[in-house]
Amino acid sequence: MSVGYVSVQWNRHKRIYDACVAGGIVLYLGVFFAAGKALYTGRNAISGEILAMRALATCAFLMLNVILCIGPLARLDRRFLPLLYNRRHLGVATFLVALAHAAIAIGFYHGFGNVNPFVALLTSNTNFTSLSAFPYQTLGLFALLILFLMAATSHDFWLKNLGAPAWKRLHMLVYIAYGLLVMHVALGILQTQRSPWLASLVGVGVVIVATLHLIAGQRERRHDERGSQLSPRAGEEWVDVGAVDDIADQRGSTVTVGAGERIALFRYNGCVSATTNVCAHQGGPLGEGKIIDGCITCPWHGWQYRPADGRSPPPFAEKIHTYRVRVVGRRIQVDPTPLPPGTAVEPARVEEVQSA
Amino acid sequence: MPGLILLGASIYATVGTLFGAGFVLRGVERVDPAALGAPWTFRILILPGVIALWPLMAWRWWCAPRTRGAA
Repeated sequence: MSVGYVSVQWNRHKRIYDACVAGGIVLYLGVFFAAGKALYTGRNAISGEILAMRALATCAFLMLNVILCIGPLARLDRRFLPLLYNRRHLGVATFLVALAHAAIAIGFYHGFGNVNPFVALLTSNTNFTSLSAFPYQTLGLFALLILFLMAATSHDFWLKNLGAPAWKRLHMLVYIAYGLLVMHVALGILQTQRSPWLASLVGVGVVIVATLHLIAGQRERRHDERGSQLSPRAGEEWVDVGAVDDIADQRGSTVTVGAGERIALFRYNGCVSATTNVCAHQGGPLGEGKIIDGCITCPWHGWQYRPADGRSPPPFAEKIHTYRVRVVGRRIQVDPTPLPPGTAVEPARVEEVQSA
Repeated sequence: MPGLILLGASIYATVGTLFGAGFVLRGVERVDPAALGAPWTFRILILPGVIALWPLMAWRWWCAPRTRGAA
């Protein structure tokens, strides 16, 4: 949250996350290299440079597949949320691995002539109309440029100064980078490999990424369709959005009213409050978070807001929209007109049912 | 043609690097007061992005209020 910038907002969770990422990369590269040396010997032996290139390439591609799966997995199952928490570091690590692959590839294939290696990369193969001879390296170069742009703008400074919508759009370029990389890898395999298993693995990765996105997207669409049936009765401003007992204590829930934005409801300390579902940080789903230390806590990166006024606790200054809310019997009713960010709203009191 | 593209990219990156050095030392605090007193590691971390997006950041620096960051 924004008070003053630091290079990295380290905490225990992030250190463990980064250690796992770094350890995983080193382990993968080591196993790939050792297996390559052990399996391909004699006349079939592969040079160290090519083995390193392939190890780094497959590692980066695998990491990108994992990154793209984390989002939909976290939407489908909350247990994946810890992976989402530090996904940006995973993205930067992916770029660095891809950069190492590109550096070795450009040096190995284009670095020994009189022509600038980058000029050689762009001019040595211009068969753009042939699938079997397509210059797939160019696709990898463009994908690397996108990954660079994303890694370079991953700090919160950029999120704040580009604005969340522009930052989000910029980082959605990852799907274009993924498409370019799938073609880069597929054409590379087509032109240099005979074995079908590598192509199959790429296909499996693409199918998993696409399927998870479709399932998560369909679930979100169903949620919004249910919400579109909710709207205030003529002459009334309140909408019945569900039962108090549907929300666990110190937890949140999400509703959509009409065609409006999603509203997050929170039950805590015998009260119910309503805010926008969109976190001011990266648009995380606040309603899927919980109340920690009396504050709504975003499940993505832990940004916090007070439920009664939508303001971050001091010294932070972020504000989100709040909504008027009341409880009638055991039903929650919301006025779906958003109030200006940071507007204080009296929480609705809930009469707790006494167990016998 | 590839030579021209590379020349253009090199000029863009060179100007971006020169601008970026000035921006992370002075301009960033004018554009975003939250960067006041930020450590040098933060400035190095944002430098590649400034080099990549230097026309935008130059515009932001130009438009930033003159009094910001003067404290």
